[in-house]
Amino acid sequence: MAANVLKQAWLVLVLAVCFGAALAGVHVGLSPRIEANRRAAIYDAIPVLVEGAVGEKAEQIELGGRRVYRAYDAEQRHLGWVIQASGDGFVDEVELLIGLDLEAERITGIHVLQQSETPGLGAGITEQDWREQFAGAEAERPVRLVSERPDEPNEVEAITGATVSSESVRDIVNAAVADVREAIHAGESAAQGGNGDGQ
Amino acid sequence: MAEAEAKKTESQSRPALEVAPGPHVHHGALTTRRMMLDVIIALAPVLLVSVAVFRLYALKQIVLCVACCVAAEAVFDLMRHRRPKIDNLSAVVTGLILALSLPGTAPWYVAVVGSAAGIGLGKVVFGGLGHNIFNPAMVGRAFVMICFASAMGATAYQDETSAVHAVTQATPLTQLEQTGETTELWRLFVGNTNGSLGETSALACLLGGLYLLIRRSAAWQIPAGVLLATGALAVVQNAMNPGADWTAAHHLLGGALLFGAFYIATDPVSSPLTPMGRFIFGLGIGALVMLLRVFGGYPEGVMFAVLLMNSVTPLINRWTIPRPVGGPVERKT
Amino acid sequence: MANDGGPTAGERFIRGIIPENPVYRQLLGMCPTLAVTGNLQAAMTMAGATAFVLFCANVLTSLIRGLLKPHLRILVFTLVIATFVTIVDRILQAYLYQMSQQLGPYVPLIIVNCMIISRCEICASKQSVFRAASDAVGVSLGFALALASIAAPRELLGDGALFGFAVMPEAMPQWVIMLLPPGAFITLGLLLGGANWIGQSLNRRKAATE
Repeated sequence: MAANVLKQAWLVLVLAVCFGAALAGVHVGLSPRIEANRRAAIYDAIPVLVEGAVGEKAEQIELGGRRVYRAYDAEQRHLGWVIQASGDGFVDEVELLIGLDLEAERITGIHVLQQSETPGLGAGITEQDWREQFAGAEAERPVRLVSERPDEPNEVEAITGATVSSESVRDIVNAAVADVREAIHAGESAAQGGNGDGQ
Repeated sequence: MAEAEAKKTESQSRPALEVAPGPHVHHGALTTRRMMLDVIIALAPVLLVSVAVFRLYALKQIVLCVACCVAAEAVFDLMRHRRPKIDNLSAVVTGLILALSLPGTAPWYVAVVGSAAGIGLGKVVFGGLGHNIFNPAMVGRAFVMICFASAMGATAYQDETSAVHAVTQATPLTQLEQTGETTELWRLFVGNTNGSLGETSALACLLGGLYLLIRRSAAWQIPAGVLLATGALAVVQNAMNPGADWTAAHHLLGGALLFGAFYIATDPVSSPLTPMGRFIFGLGIGALVMLLRVFGGYPEGVMFAVLLMNSVTPLINRWTIPRPVGGPVERKT
Repeated sequence: MANDGGPTAGERFIRGIIPENPVYRQLLGMCPTLAVTGNLQAAMTMAGATAFVLFCANVLTSLIRGLLKPHLRILVFTLVIATFVTIVDRILQAYLYQMSQQLGPYVPLIIVNCMIISRCEICASKQSVFRAASDAVGVSLGFALALASIAAPRELLGDGALFGFAVMPEAMPQWVIMLLPPGAFITLGLLLGGANWIGQSLNRRKAATE
């Protein structure tokens, strides 16, 4: 019986072993490169979000329940924070990087890591002109969407015909910034409590 | 007896009984051209109001859409080696309804692409007039609405620098969605508001609609169903939000509801054949309009409601087959 | 071995391109045809990845065709195809990271592209390596042509560009619908209708001259 099965299926077994070995080889050969690509997508964005920072120096930590990168410049000076956050978009998950200044008082910019929103409409969230509206917003209060011509720092013009995508970016930013800001301030007051200037 | 008659005529060389597929009733009032002419006459008050309110915006859109629809019909018919059937006026009606459902501010290419898509994708690819599943004008409008979202979206209706007063305001439904402000009923009734060209005046739509119903060019069950469902759901919605300024009457008079109920939903090709089916079709449109208005991302939902119900028209036809006279008393399913 | 009865290598090559075009004549591989033809770059990357898988799968299947058991052949085909798809997926992630992000799940989905398994079944499991290889090249070319014919009008109207380079004047409005799924269905439908119409009138002309 066992011999019969082997007679029937030996080709499949041999092929499976060979292919498995080949795939393992490909994986070993290519995975460092793939990992580097993944990291580079984040590290390339960090200098854009926090001016003067060096992407490779960034240190990944956990803060306020979020994945946060401490951004350093070449001399290891701490310049600001970058939050990695995601949420539901119109089509699929939207993943963002959000830059914060050192005191976590202002948003320095946002970057879209991953999205599959509607081309020509919701995909407008990746446009630089649209993303730049977030830069300079105060972290203390939430960002608001307006339908035309924002005139205050915390106002962002919603993309015409893509309200849902604009709203999902707004919600991801507001939730992540609130969490991380609170955690940073709590950490600061704990660390500086002895110096007398804690709040 | 008919058999005997047939046998008798068989012996003679010339048949006395002609056998042909239906329809068998021929009457001057029942031609396509006559029906389309009725729709055009019924559209007259809407056209007048739109030109009075939107001036050149309306004129430009109407002329462009009608010209492009007729041209598209002629070109596509010639491509299929057929005599261009422009004289049945169906392309003119498609053009008029498309123009009246567009914002006056939409640029010229919206009208051109909408007309070509409406006639081409909405009608000709299915085999021409009578074979189309969807209302051609609404196919054209849906195409340009998705295609040129920035020229057709809620904010595109408004142009503050315009010399025409109506165009400087936001449309009533957009205003409601964004700021919660309500437009006076009287203004919705006479039509002195912004919106798609043909939808602003409830009065004009009612006048034209009544003419269509009296002439029996449109089935009364469809608008009745639409208004009934919308009104009932609007009352329910009002009861759930007491104190809201936007009442059931606003829901009935505002937006494209009346225009859609009388002129768009009643398209004889893409709506059901049986009286019961027509009523169900109307109810479905009305319910979907309220659903889309209250929960949808767009302020108005008449176009999508009509297209969705068009797609279930064959099903409604099958559900509502009337029992023939002398037919089986009870059929087991 | 040289003559195994079926169509010759040259015939296989030519047939794959137009007369038996996988998309227009056989209606196979509809998933990538509709899903990744929003721009030419993505479409050509998909065509390249599919060509690699098809070529490797056809050659390998042809090499082991003498050992195939009839009732286990589909299993072997799938195993072969899945292996090469995984390899091409990893290569794209390593060398064309942005593009592989854009193609997303559609690269792994090459495994279930019926076009490839049909070539293994029809050609590679019955014919010599050379014929199987030329069949793979011909069919791949036909597939690439079909994807390009759908992607080009979509990108041109939807984005005013070809291969990401703006070719239309700035003032031209972008037909967003062409980039969305309805645009894929409309373009494929109209082109398919056009291809059938040309095919019919060619047949009619042939019939008239005979």
